[in-house]
Amino acid sequence: MLGSRSTLLWLLSLPVIVFTAFFLMPLAVVLISSFTTGEGDFTLMQYGKVLLDSYHWQVIITTFRIAILSTLICVLLGYPLAWYLVRIVKWRTWRRACVILLILPLFTSNIVRSFGWMVLLGRSGLVNDALRGAGLIDRPIKFLGTETGILIGMVYILLPFAVLTIGNALAKVDPALEQASRDLGADPARTFFSVTLPLTMHGVLAGGIIVFSMAISAYVTPALLSGGKVTVLAMLAFQQYSTVFDFNFGGALSITLLVFTMALIGLATWLSRLGTAAEKAA
Amino acid sequence: MTMRMVIRVIALLTLGYLLLPLAVVIGGSLTRTKFLAFPPQGVTLEWYQVILNDPTYIKSFGISAILALAATTISIVIALPAAIAIARHEFRGKAALSALLLSPLVLPHIVIGAALLQYGASIGLVRNFAALLVGHVVIVTPFVLRSLLPQFSPEQLSLEEASRDLGAGAWSTFSHVTVPQIRAGLVSGAIFAFITSFINVELSIFNTTSDLNTIPVQLFNYVQYSVDPSIAAVASLTILAAAAAIILIDWLIGLDFLSDK
Repeated sequence: MLGSRSTLLWLLSLPVIVFTAFFLMPLAVVLISSFTTGEGDFTLMQYGKVLLDSYHWQVIITTFRIAILSTLICVLLGYPLAWYLVRIVKWRTWRRACVILLILPLFTSNIVRSFGWMVLLGRSGLVNDALRGAGLIDRPIKFLGTETGILIGMVYILLPFAVLTIGNALAKVDPALEQASRDLGADPARTFFSVTLPLTMHGVLAGGIIVFSMAISAYVTPALLSGGKVTVLAMLAFQQYSTVFDFNFGGALSITLLVFTMALIGLATWLSRLGTAAEKAA
Repeated sequence: MTMRMVIRVIALLTLGYLLLPLAVVIGGSLTRTKFLAFPPQGVTLEWYQVILNDPTYIKSFGISAILALAATTISIVIALPAAIAIARHEFRGKAALSALLLSPLVLPHIVIGAALLQYGASIGLVRNFAALLVGHVVIVTPFVLRSLLPQFSPEQLSLEEASRDLGAGAWSTFSHVTVPQIRAGLVSGAIFAFITSFINVELSIFNTTSDLNTIPVQLFNYVQYSVDPSIAAVASLTILAAAAAIILIDWLIGLDFLSDK
């Protein structure tokens, strides 16, 4: 056992040292400075500035609205696409091509992808031209600098994560269970809602959590597609560090973002555990 | 049968939605016009020539590549022993340790970047290559760890025991028996780590300067002020590089994992 102890020490020393020195310590510095004044005295003023100000609440609410809508749309679009890839496509080469197409955006930076949308969503971009050509609108819709534009770009960037996690869950469902449901006289909708969906719910939740945690902390996409007219929490925090140089207030904004993110991930994880427990009990 | 058609239509439209921006970027990079036009007007490779002759792009590209390579290598050195400890040993605080090492996956990168900037300022670790590297190591290590952990199974222990019984030393057993069994996870983890580092903006942006710039940060700064075909050409090159990487992965480990068979 002594040998095992020293092996363990040897294995863990480097990861623990690196993550303590360059991850925990920096976060601790931010946490401490969020509770201090510029002169180094203890204060709750920084959080007061964040939480007692209606502008900041507006930013927090906008951030959440965008993140929640992105997550919902990703799941609602991602489920049919995952279904299509797992259940409908029979031609292997085509499925492989689709998977490559799904993963390709993940391998290119947010900027390149957001940049594509900047071109598409402009006043005389392809989207407005197409809508006008189809006679659906008279004058161009303003996408850039609005939440709609940010949402289009965010869903685009986060959708592959939802499709891949839901698809993985769907591929593991035993078809015999669905067959049994049909044999017992359930129609396809009933089979879907009482057999397939519950069996893939953990994938939906896992995908939802990934998408949400990335959406709430996204910086590049909102920064590029907002044109400075819509502000999210990550942009506000970045401003404090890059242009205002108020590390104390920036710290409070960062910690606020961190706490909200962790709280929602915690809530979603708790809900999914509750769901699994209920399933087992039933 | 009609539901099937509806799903098919939604799926194909969604795939189109995923393809469209990439098509616009690649298409726009070929235009003959001075402004970014899609569909392109005429076809030329002139914009590629412009950027390939621009030393700042070549330099940023080199910095990004070296940074990603270094961060990936170091992250393997950190994640491999951690994975062995978590998969093979029982110890107090194991859950806390794996949560700590995986947490950069879900924490806002902009917060990690800001924290490293403020902390780094106190120890002189700012706006240099080491500062960039440290941050990238922290955010890519979880990717390697996450793909390594499922590769360990109890059955491997008896193989390793057999190797030792046959007289192989600890190191020889590790490199000839353990590593080949976890290779798939190591390769995919390393690829994800490399890509994550290579496309990062949120962390790098705090520590880059005009002399020390990564390609995504340079693109980000440029795109905020102007959009022209040369930037589309740089973006297209990154898309082509990504496509090459994916085809390589598909060839190495196979990507047909959504099959229900």
